[in-house]
Amino acid sequence: MSLPSEASPSMDDREAGASKSGTGQGETPSPPSPVVKKAVLIIVTVVGLMGLAWLADHYLPAAQTGEVKTAGGALAPNVTFRGMDGNDVTLAQFKGKVVLVNFWATWCEPCKIEIPWLIEYQQKYASRGFTVLGVAMDEEGKQVVEPWVQKERFDVNGQQLPINYPIFVGNDPLAEQFGGYIGLPFSVLISRDGKVVKKQLGMILDKDKFAKEIESLF
Amino acid sequence: MKSIFPLRSLRLCILGASWFLLFSSATAQVPRAADVVAPEAYVSLAPVPRGRAVELAVVARIRSGFHINSHKPTDEYLIPTALSADLPPGLRLLDTVYPPGQIRKFKFAPDGLSVYENGVTLRMKLEAAADAPLGQRKVPLLLHYQACNDEVCLPPVKLPLTAEIEIAPAGAAAQPQHPEIFSAPAAKQ
Repeated sequence: MSLPSEASPSMDDREAGASKSGTGQGETPSPPSPVVKKAVLIIVTVVGLMGLAWLADHYLPAAQTGEVKTAGGALAPNVTFRGMDGNDVTLAQFKGKVVLVNFWATWCEPCKIEIPWLIEYQQKYASRGFTVLGVAMDEEGKQVVEPWVQKERFDVNGQQLPINYPIFVGNDPLAEQFGGYIGLPFSVLISRDGKVVKKQLGMILDKDKFAKEIESLF
Repeated sequence: MKSIFPLRSLRLCILGASWFLLFSSATAQVPRAADVVAPEAYVSLAPVPRGRAVELAVVARIRSGFHINSHKPTDEYLIPTALSADLPPGLRLLDTVYPPGQIRKFKFAPDGLSVYENGVTLRMKLEAAADAPLGQRKVPLLLHYQACNDEVCLPPVKLPLTAEIEIAPAGAAAQPQHPEIFSAPAAKQ
């Protein structure tokens, strides 16, 4: 396909233009100074990396299921959870306990697979200073979550049991304060001194291995 | 001619960019919820004469490894895929047709869930009223879905898109469009 002559000047035009703006026939253009070279290089690199970042953000996946890297035991955020009874509870109130914050939703099937295990962890370890905090991420909040929690029973070693740990209502900004949240379930294990020990995006795949990680914090 | 870019620095830049790309793809597997489904809207007639019925289709590609719930999921708490339209004056919704879901088993759902995978085409049947305003009309659409893969579920999404319909006087010649989409009858769930 040929382009209009305005868009694609002929060789003669280009040569004419070059001779107009050049320094004269027979002269070679002086090489750019090192400062200019560096500046061009920096600009090209920054623009290139920004472009790559944009491409990665739009076309490459953004996170990985499984354990999310933690920054070597960073302190857990000082968040406030809204209880089903409308009362607020801060995470700081649980300092001194090992805490497993579990973000879930009634529409999240992988979350439901974990719930019997969380009930079991609560049964086994509550007396040793452990608690699960379940944070429901349903947009409709309490009106959907509360009846679901009251109705559902879970098979824990052959027994049909209700959820035995506190349930709160959360939202994306709350979950994002823990870092690494992109989907559900999302679990954050916090040590007695309030440090984030482990973050898990997606289902807990090995119930016993996770139990050992909890036990290691007592 | 001597290049403006010193070769060594250029190599370093390319190396850095390659590491960046490699790192991004190696550590990342879960996209943002809004990036799981890529929908496009199509219209069956152009133009649409007043008084005629027209179909609108949303062809949604679903990212490999992910599924979205069908319009009739197996559990009341699951979020169904739904298409809604904010119809301009003169257009009336006759029906929205969702294909049946596939029953698929997952690690977290051994009994199976009714889902759409790979792609799905949702169709809306509309009618242009006898007094519908003539000319090009934008039809804002909203695709509501909730996606999961084998281990993680992403938050529900309402993805906006737009279809364009041109209304012509009654009796105007109308050309069928996109037979690859509209020639097959819509299978209803």
